[in-house]
Amino acid sequence: MEIALLALAAALAIGVPAIATAWAQGRIGPAAAASLAEKPELSTTAIILIAIPETMVILGFVVAVLILLRAGG
Amino acid sequence: MIVRMARVRVAGPRPRLDQVLEVLQDSGLLHLDRPPTPETSYPAHTPTKERRHTERCLVDVDTAIERLQVMPNAGRFPDAPALTREAVRRARRVRRQADRLTGERTALEEERVLLLRYRAFFQAFESLVGHELTWPDGQAFYVVLRAGAGGALGELKHSLETAVHGEVEVLHRALPSGEWAVLILVSERAAPTVSSLLSASRVEELPAPGGLGHTNLLRALPSLKSRLASIPGALAALDADRRSLARVEGPWLMALRASLRDRLLLLDARSRVLAATHLFVIEGWLPGARIGELEQRLQSACGPEVVTSTIGQEDWSAPDAPVALHNPPIFRPFEVVTRTLPLPKYGTIDPTPFVAVFFPAFFGLMLGDVGYGLMLAALAWLLRRRSTPDSALRSISTIGFACASSAVAFGLVFGELFGSLGQAIGLKPFFNRETATVSFLGLAIALGAVHIALGIVLAGLNAWHRGHRREAMGRGVTLSMLVLTVLALLAAVEVLPAALFTPFAIAILVAFPVLVALEGVVAIIELLSTFGHILSYARIMALGTASLMLAVVANEMVGAMGSVVVGVLFALLFHLVNFAIGLFSPTIHALRLHYVEFFGHFFSPGGAEYRPLGHWHSTT
Repeated sequence: MEIALLALAAALAIGVPAIATAWAQGRIGPAAAASLAEKPELSTTAIILIAIPETMVILGFVVAVLILLRAGG
Repeated sequence: MIVRMARVRVAGPRPRLDQVLEVLQDSGLLHLDRPPTPETSYPAHTPTKERRHTERCLVDVDTAIERLQVMPNAGRFPDAPALTREAVRRARRVRRQADRLTGERTALEEERVLLLRYRAFFQAFESLVGHELTWPDGQAFYVVLRAGAGGALGELKHSLETAVHGEVEVLHRALPSGEWAVLILVSERAAPTVSSLLSASRVEELPAPGGLGHTNLLRALPSLKSRLASIPGALAALDADRRSLARVEGPWLMALRASLRDRLLLLDARSRVLAATHLFVIEGWLPGARIGELEQRLQSACGPEVVTSTIGQEDWSAPDAPVALHNPPIFRPFEVVTRTLPLPKYGTIDPTPFVAVFFPAFFGLMLGDVGYGLMLAALAWLLRRRSTPDSALRSISTIGFACASSAVAFGLVFGELFGSLGQAIGLKPFFNRETATVSFLGLAIALGAVHIALGIVLAGLNAWHRGHRREAMGRGVTLSMLVLTVLALLAAVEVLPAALFTPFAIAILVAFPVLVALEGVVAIIELLSTFGHILSYARIMALGTASLMLAVVANEMVGAMGSVVVGVLFALLFHLVNFAIGLFSPTIHALRLHYVEFFGHFFSPGGAEYRPLGHWHSTT
């Protein structure tokens, strides 16, 4: 039972930030694309802005790995 | 690093101004900057009539080059053409010839497109050609109905027959596109009624091609077909004329364009010169090490009447100086990464050398695979073969080689070759990142701490050099707190003696109010964000582990598909996908770690690029 809960926790640790990242990137992406159409020189800024929300899912992944290691997986 | 600049002043008799500007243009050294303007000064006279004249001629030349499709390597013209009346006339004449060829080509293309719209009609009604027409002097209407509108044909036919008392013949054929080609033949008397009925019911007619001498398509069909067949030949003849004209006039046009652009650069330069009736003054920037070269050139070309002097640094401020980056050849390709952001201000730090060290290291840590590294090296080699020296592509290929080397080196450390295959063929991992996940996380965060600490040191040095002592001390205290925090954590997990934890914690508590006193309350937020930035380096571990896991999954496909051949094919495909992800993701995240986390501490964008007056060069 405890292992099942830990697995669920790991899944939530990566799943919820993944949804949040997708939501944020889904909003930043079109705005960045629209800006690039007018100012192509903003491409670096656009890439950075799109990459920023990925921190959530990356840290979520790290936490999930740590949980699974604690579960002995 | 940012090249040290000097500001110089060139003064001389007014009649020598044009000669001096030409020498400056030939030398390509001086970035002109308008001297501080006293109220009684005069700007040098800029001949607006000459500028307009030059620009008009340049429009002719550019248009002719574009329309004739002259290639940049069209050949060399022996001498730079002078901007004489004859040259202007010749440029105008060539432009008109180019306009005529382009216009004729466009007209032929449009005609071909229109005739091609009739091709479906040709094929649908070709069998009727030569048949006797019911109304030889009648009129034909051509209509294409959209796909699925075939059911309305009966109704259309009935309505027309009723309206014109049977003096109409409606022929229809299904087209391969699903549309319906409809040919409506009517007597001369009934034609106006049918035309108005079609207009009223908004049925769109196909416009009849003009210039063929027949109003009836069935009679015009042979002419249309032969016209369509003759168009490619006519287009080829026009292209041959264009190529011939480009061969004859191309090198001269390219040389004239360079002369005209050079002349415009000189006219622009004149607007940045101060001149009185007898004297002119030019000021500008150049690399400090090249002042002697400029003096020598001016001296030998213009004699002692033209005087060059260096303006003391106390008379100019650093933010006004333009920025030129100069790095050792091994670091230079990484200027591409730095230049994607605005240039750093003069007097601050050029981050290129640090990018050259850390960017490939981060990339290699994330990809960390001998196989993928070799694939990247092959890709970089291909890119290098297709690039020209000093181009951005060449720089990117060099960065690719650096990243590939790093990925191979870390692949050997991790014992990875296409994931787990490395260990299967006997590669011994010195650090197994598949099992030592927590250690890998610690390594990534430790690397982040070092990188951020370096950023804070650079910020402190930057502030110190600009005379902002208080800010520099604040950076020093922030760095101390960072180091103390790391030491306290190491003591807490007993890597260092546990007894040291309390002294470290007390030192942090003492440093904190000092930091707030130096930098204000905002220092608290900055300190927290610094720790956030360090944690952000955990992405190195996350992406590295994800890349490894995908490679392991790809290898496991070999035995999981039932057939070895299918399994190997799927594994190869998966490795290819993983390689593509492995190129894209580490690049984006290594860039982000630099731009957001590292540069954020010390980088001061906003420098103006050093653009010396020189000769125009085509970038195409």
